[in-house]
Amino acid sequence: MRVAFVGKGGAGKSAIAGVIARLLARDGEDVLAVDSDPMPGLSVSLGLGVVESAIPADAVTEKAAGEPGPRFRLRQGLTATEAIDRYALLAPDGVRFLQFGKTRASAAPLMRSQWAFRQILDGLPPETPTVIGDLPGGTRQPFLGWAGYADTVVVVVPPTSAGMLSARRLAKLATTGPTTDTGPSRILAVVSQARDDADVERIRQRTGLDVIGSVPWDERVLAAEREGRSVLDTAPDSAVVAALTALAERLAPQRAAQRQAALADFPGGGA
Amino acid sequence: MKLAVVGKGGVGKTTTAAVLARTLARDGGTVVALDCDTNPNLGISLGIGDDETERLIGLRQSLDDGTQEHAPSWDSLIDVFGSDAPGGVRLAVVSAMDKPEPGCPCCGLSPEQLLRTVAFDEQTVIADFEAGIGTLTRLEAGAVDVIVLVVAPTAKSIEVARRAAELVAEKQLGRLVVLGNQVRDDADRALITAAFGEPDVACVPHDERIADADRRGVAPFDVAPDADAVLAIAALAGTLRATA
Repeated sequence: MRVAFVGKGGAGKSAIAGVIARLLARDGEDVLAVDSDPMPGLSVSLGLGVVESAIPADAVTEKAAGEPGPRFRLRQGLTATEAIDRYALLAPDGVRFLQFGKTRASAAPLMRSQWAFRQILDGLPPETPTVIGDLPGGTRQPFLGWAGYADTVVVVVPPTSAGMLSARRLAKLATTGPTTDTGPSRILAVVSQARDDADVERIRQRTGLDVIGSVPWDERVLAAEREGRSVLDTAPDSAVVAALTALAERLAPQRAAQRQAALADFPGGGA
Repeated sequence: MKLAVVGKGGVGKTTTAAVLARTLARDGGTVVALDCDTNPNLGISLGIGDDETERLIGLRQSLDDGTQEHAPSWDSLIDVFGSDAPGGVRLAVVSAMDKPEPGCPCCGLSPEQLLRTVAFDEQTVIADFEAGIGTLTRLEAGAVDVIVLVVAPTAKSIEVARRAAELVAEKQLGRLVVLGNQVRDDADRALITAAFGEPDVACVPHDERIADADRRGVAPFDVAPDADAVLAIAALAGTLRATA
């Protein structure tokens, strides 16, 4: 499963992506969390705090003049899997975390790091790892092909006019944008900051998207965001975490079924 | 006076830009609001509604499809890709295009180039930037006079704002005004002032009436002109005008 979370800025993409990544990892999946936002977000939501871990420039080599193919490719002998082993950080619950570098005032251009990031995602073997991706807010980057790895695009929609308009644009881009060649097989919506069921229904109607989950408004998320921590650590028994646990199951239904089957086979299991 | 509003996504840039624009227009200026975001929603907060906001976005995007005629001049750009918002504010969507034609007045310049190039004469310009600091990395000194940096009391927002403030200082992009938004209590205020220094931070309280306006897709300035948050942003507008 390869999921990209998109949505308006502040919708809750990285907070949701971070918890989903950790919940899947707790279930035994090999999870790679990837952050292509030039501003910090996902690392904080995973519980790593603000980290600077751009992929080093020497991970890629530039093609010679006249040589066909992409401008940069992973250096000779470096596979995508090895690149992850080498450059990803270890986050809580065994999630591995890869980021394409963060923009700072006087930082050297991130081009090589970003190329390496793209080449790694393009070069992953088909089944593992499970990828949970956090894209920058808005509609620009998804349109430029940064969600190309995703078989599932999840649009995070807060119950505001701007959030719903953004969701409609993103849904359209995901089906008609340059990602279409390898495009996602599923475009789903998750309602964030939902105050009531009417919010969920309104979003279903106004976006026309398949809403597979709803995360309630909760002051404790705000408190976690203030501290720069994950709600999974600060309020593990909250309704938000329960909603995200249900969402993780719905995103990966086969996994849930396999787990049930394995439990049933186990003597004394199968509750 | 040219103002740019920047910050992390979701901190309240667009609400801030809209209330500043409406306040300055009410107090007698000619105000042009430029939506520089590639995901442009400023129209909603200015009070033109969802449908008109979506129409403007469609108009801008149809330039890339080749179904919209290009504007012949910078002035007509504001006409063609704009709409009259309530209270005398002229809104135009000027977000960067994916397939710009070099030299074309309506798509050849990025918003940051537009701000530097076009003489807006006596008009007050409020530019609502894309989330993050990408636009600031490309902005040149002299393009704007004031940068309103909107910060919510969260670790992520403060980190983005720190980087933005570094850029503004390093590149001497203009006068920096930090607006601490969605402030609920002293702890929130302390978090923001600790990062940016007490004297330079204007605080705007968390206000359910803003959240309610966002949900309904209407302008806070119209439906809640006396809300504490609106009054705080309006006060900032007054200060900015007085010190311009």
